[in-house]
Amino acid sequence: MQVLRLLVMLAVVFLPPVTALAYDVLVLQSLHEKGYNEAINGFKREFHGSLRNIILSDYAEADVTRLTREEHPRLIVAVGDRALELAQKQSNTPVLYMMALNPRPRRMTTGVGMLLDPSRYVSVFDNLKAARVGVVYDPAKSGQYVRRALSHAGRYNIELVMREVRAAKETPAMLESLQGKVDAIWMLPDPTAVSPASTEAYFLFSQRERVPVVTFADVYLSMGGAVALTIDRFDIGRQLGEMAQSILNGTPVEEIPPASPRRVVTKSNEGVVRQLRQNGGAGR
Amino acid sequence: MARKKRFRLAAYTKSFRLRLYLIFTVTIALLTGAFTFFYVITEINAYKSTLEREGRLLATILAQNARLPLFAENREALSVLAQGTARYPSVHSVVISNIEGRVVAEARRGKEQPDNVIGMEVAITSPGPVLSPESVLLGHLPDDKERVIGKVLLRLDTSGARERIVTLVTAALAIGTLFWILVSLLSYQVLKRVTASFNMLMGGIEEIGSGKLSSRVDLDGDDELGRAANAINAMAASLELRELENQALQDELLKAMKLEVQEEKKRVMARLIQTNKMTSLGLLLSSMAHEINNPNASIRFSGHMIGKMWVDAVPLLDGVWQEEGEFYLGGVPFQTARLALAENAAKIVENSERIARVVQGLRDYGVGGGTHLRQKLEINNAVSAALSVLACQMKRDVQLKTSLGTDIPVVNGSQQQIEQVLINLILNAMQACAGGRGEVTLTTRYDKGVSEVVVEVQDDGAGISAETMERLFEPFFSTKLERGGSGLGLYISQYIVAEHGGRLQLASTPGKGTLARVVLPAGVASVGNMVPAEDVQHPADPLHEVR
Repeated sequence: MQVLRLLVMLAVVFLPPVTALAYDVLVLQSLHEKGYNEAINGFKREFHGSLRNIILSDYAEADVTRLTREEHPRLIVAVGDRALELAQKQSNTPVLYMMALNPRPRRMTTGVGMLLDPSRYVSVFDNLKAARVGVVYDPAKSGQYVRRALSHAGRYNIELVMREVRAAKETPAMLESLQGKVDAIWMLPDPTAVSPASTEAYFLFSQRERVPVVTFADVYLSMGGAVALTIDRFDIGRQLGEMAQSILNGTPVEEIPPASPRRVVTKSNEGVVRQLRQNGGAGR
Repeated sequence: MARKKRFRLAAYTKSFRLRLYLIFTVTIALLTGAFTFFYVITEINAYKSTLEREGRLLATILAQNARLPLFAENREALSVLAQGTARYPSVHSVVISNIEGRVVAEARRGKEQPDNVIGMEVAITSPGPVLSPESVLLGHLPDDKERVIGKVLLRLDTSGARERIVTLVTAALAIGTLFWILVSLLSYQVLKRVTASFNMLMGGIEEIGSGKLSSRVDLDGDDELGRAANAINAMAASLELRELENQALQDELLKAMKLEVQEEKKRVMARLIQTNKMTSLGLLLSSMAHEINNPNASIRFSGHMIGKMWVDAVPLLDGVWQEEGEFYLGGVPFQTARLALAENAAKIVENSERIARVVQGLRDYGVGGGTHLRQKLEINNAVSAALSVLACQMKRDVQLKTSLGTDIPVVNGSQQQIEQVLINLILNAMQACAGGRGEVTLTTRYDKGVSEVVVEVQDDGAGISAETMERLFEPFFSTKLERGGSGLGLYISQYIVAEHGGRLQLASTPGKGTLARVVLPAGVASVGNMVPAEDVQHPADPLHEVR
């Protein structure tokens, strides 16, 4: 296996410049992933130019700078955090990203994040009539997103009761500290605040305090979540395809700001919602 | 008393009811014991299983509850959980440790006794289906893998199990014993009812078996015992009937025997009387012989003397006759007297000798000689001797014809006894002649083919009826008792002939006469002792002719 990888790496490194291979978009995919494929399929649906797809996990190391220098793609589409990180190592070709949970866009970089716009959640809380919403988050990972959420919440007169965690094991205690202080819990896609071991703490809290948990994936509905706002990966691809098309049509990258997913799929666990309503939890 | 008690106890131990009862009670005891044993074992296992299940459940619940506090390293919460679990009576201690094995919470209750403690360990796992937010956003599906983050160790106190076992065994034994007693009593009552019929049947059988055939088994019903009782009753009735019949036959037999005895008694008395007569006759004959022999001897001597003196006197008297001529003796001329006197002297001697033989014969008959079966007798001599004895009994109207065979071999035996037989037969023949007239034929011969000597006495008298013929050889049976018959003649004769190895046969036709035949085996040395032919007139029987 090591020998095979070495051969592939040598092949990539000493890839001869072939002009006939010139294309519009170089798609760097972090790894073989179903979610990535869905997004790329959405991208291809909107983008009709030529493209080359490289899955980085197939190579030990990919020299994106050399690729762009020799193949001259007009645009790089990074799928996933690792691909975005590699793509941003070169500075000549504009980079569009998608399916990156923690993007740190630099110059000539824009894209579609994985986090829904906080206003979507705030409107849900507003619909649930939750005046106080507990939020557990890691400032290093979700600080910016929470700040955006605060501004939106203020518009709806919703108070976000914030609890910062810097390690996953702190989450249960932070949740316990919210006891009697919130009308709903907002489960952020924060890897520190939401770990496999601490996930059920949210739903135990929800059950004990009779407050709904609004989460970011429908998989949590079966564990006790009340409402889930989920992203549409195919539509993210389409959304990024439109951006790429626009850039290739001459729109400067700098004029296109990073965007949140435009399409939201809202699902709810009717059983949980009904029980919370009966117990006077939701819709306070 | 003790023996009687032992007998009763032995009979009781052999009773069908007791054996059945013992089988029942022992079987019930075994079943009850087995049931109790299995019940106790099952209960103990169930208790242990329940204890283990309860412990596992408690440990699992604790592991579930401790998941988040352990993840959050909340020792206070874990301690509260451990103490809450340790409050259960069956829990002795609770230990919660993290993945590195470090104890993060512990609770104990009392002092641990190693023998009464079992451990229960359950892993604390983080929920498997939960994914990281990134995976969830990428659409990963949850998997079933659980991650172990620590463990819960419960030590369960099993000291209650021992107390429970003791209580359980005691209760089971008490209930089992009570059940056994109740079932035994019940089975005894049932057996008593069931075997009552059997005992009644047995009692009836024993009573019938003891001989009381009139008793019956008083058992109703159409079951097996009822049918058996009916069969036994029928058998007893049949036996009783046979018994009555036997009794009746026995009574009849007894009566007949009594009659027979009475008649026999009469006959015996008659025989005794006759025997007494015979004894007297014998004595009389002996006496007579003695009285006659003396004068007879004198007469014979006188005859001899007369003969001798006459022989001496004749020459002298012849000289006188020659010298003096004729003279008379006793009125008879000398020449006539000379012959007559010699002849009369000889007749005196001869008749005296004859008297002596007759007297000797009578004496022998009366006294009875010894058994001389080893002697050799000539049958014709025996016939002559018999006729000599009977000479005085001869009747002029009865002709006695003798036909004595020649070359007849001697016979081993007593001549006197054979004579007695012949005398009886000849007398019977003569007495059978109707009106004192008739003919008696006496024949002797030798049957060479079978080497037998035969004497036949044939008469033409009245003959013998069939009824009389059947009883002829019975002792003291006689048709001539009123005429002096003893009833012993033929009986003794048959006995004597049988003693000589021969047989006495009688053949008779009523109205035509009777043939008496004496058959005797010829003697061994008979060839040298052949009797020459003799067909002469018997000197004792001058009246009868010899053919």
